[in-house]
Amino acid sequence: MIGKLLRKNTSPARIAGFLLSNFIGLAIIVGGLQFYEDASSLFTSEDSFVKSDFLVINKKVTSANTWDRGSSDFSREEIADLKGQPWVRDVGEFSSADYRVMASVNQGGRGMSTLLFFESIPDGFVDAGGSAWNYRPGEEIVPLIISKDYLTLYNFGFANSAGLPQMSESIMSGIPLQLTLTSEDGLRRKVMQGRVVGYSNRLNTILVPDSFMEWSRRELGSGKSESPSRLIVDVNSPGDVAIKKYLDEHSLEVAGDKTGSSASYLLKVVVGIVLAVGIVITLLSFFILLLSMSLLMEKNRDKLHSLLMLGCPVKDVAAPYIRIVVGVSVLAYLLAVGCSECLRLSYTGALEGLGAEKGGWWFAPAVGLLLTLIMIIFNVRSVRRRVINSFRN
Amino acid sequence: MLPRVFSAESIPFSEVWKSTLTFRRGCFYLVEAASGGGKSSMCSFIYGARRDFEGRLLFDGNDTESLKIDQWQKLRRESLAYLPQELSLFPELTALQNIELKNSLTGYVEKGRIEEWLHILGIDSRRDYPVGRMSVGQQQRVGLIRAICQPFDFILLDEPVSHLDEENNRIAARMIMEEARRQGAGVISTSVGNPLLMEDALSLKL
Repeated sequence: MIGKLLRKNTSPARIAGFLLSNFIGLAIIVGGLQFYEDASSLFTSEDSFVKSDFLVINKKVTSANTWDRGSSDFSREEIADLKGQPWVRDVGEFSSADYRVMASVNQGGRGMSTLLFFESIPDGFVDAGGSAWNYRPGEEIVPLIISKDYLTLYNFGFANSAGLPQMSESIMSGIPLQLTLTSEDGLRRKVMQGRVVGYSNRLNTILVPDSFMEWSRRELGSGKSESPSRLIVDVNSPGDVAIKKYLDEHSLEVAGDKTGSSASYLLKVVVGIVLAVGIVITLLSFFILLLSMSLLMEKNRDKLHSLLMLGCPVKDVAAPYIRIVVGVSVLAYLLAVGCSECLRLSYTGALEGLGAEKGGWWFAPAVGLLLTLIMIIFNVRSVRRRVINSFRN
Repeated sequence: MLPRVFSAESIPFSEVWKSTLTFRRGCFYLVEAASGGGKSSMCSFIYGARRDFEGRLLFDGNDTESLKIDQWQKLRRESLAYLPQELSLFPELTALQNIELKNSLTGYVEKGRIEEWLHILGIDSRRDYPVGRMSVGQQQRVGLIRAICQPFDFILLDEPVSHLDEENNRIAARMIMEEARRQGAGVISTSVGNPLLMEDALSLKL
């Protein structure tokens, strides 16, 4: 009976207005986030070794510096200038081996060997899971990270034409490479085993641990310190226009940049705008509900007071309004999630055609649920406050 | 105790304001005053609906200042009955619905008893009428029945019979006193000249 008394003056139009706007706002937020989850795999080529915030940069090679050895190296001043840029968090130098490396593989009696080179970067820039990416002097096996492109070149270029079997990443990792390291003067020599522990999309090199590089240069190197020709830079935001401007001004190139980062940046911006619109609409719908409940309770203020005068518990007086708030909010949320799912069904085919992997299903609805709960909590508190305010004359 | 609006004025003789007064269970009190003397204010203060007074209000020696809303609500269901002057009935509900709304909160009175009270007060034929369409005298009688649908230590009645004739006044008084005696409760009734006709009532001048 209390419910019947207090729901009088309820405006279906206002409640419908809230339902609609809250539904639209939440649907945009949940749908937008879900799309981002689903589409982002298109742009972020998974690379577990180097974070996407890291850029590998080098100077552009032009015909002018082809024969001028060292002209593509970075000087101390240039590195210091780069470090001073506001978008730079840290700069690491590539150091390369100044000795010769010969790698050979013995595959079922067929030997194969090639000249190689090694580079290393500070360990802080490599994320290969602790112990695997480490070398202690005296150890026989050297861990390597090679560019994924090398494997692709071998499988689809070389192996086909040379009649050799194609190799998957795991098979390749299982094959021991025999490494013969020789100093430039040919007087010192070391034979070791190499093992590929990972493949990188973003590092076009053959990477060894920094500790191995130090040790091997001490053992076999010429002792001269060389300036690095490539740098790895940890940046705040890879999409920053300031970065592009700086690189252009100094004729620098970003290696391994498959324009993925700028597309993913664009996706982030677009999703960000969509989310902002969704949040504004949701916020407005929140105020619609808050105001329509206030108006309804103001109209029924005498009744609220009379019920409290009878000794009705505050929670019983608030209950009919709380039921409206919770019911309509939950309904709007369910509709929004349903709408987002329908949207998802409609674009999944297209995205899968582009090679995207489906993203997680729970994150976007969970965010929507969180927003809904926050709105419910605020509205319930406001309802209770209004009931308590009508306690005294 | 004194209502704040009176604090700047020099008020005439009063047995309630500016004095210490104790109401006891089992006693009947008639508080008489001229209009504007603060009868309704006194009832609202005691019922916790207003706090704009100076002084202290104690229940069984405990100050009511610190009572929380939920504690007041419990008191109102279990210890304090009140019929306000404006009655505070819900005009869109019938007489019976108004009474049952209160009884559903307390679960105190059986349905047959309510019917009996409606009959005693002569409004049983109006039980299914919306209260909004009843005369003030009939509404007062509905309010009286509603007020006693609960356990109470005191019942506050603010001009309960102002629109009743002497005969109905007497019947109502008898009904209230009977219920109060049964519960061992006190009655505090106010009036501006048409008092509830209770025997053995202590008279207080406001």
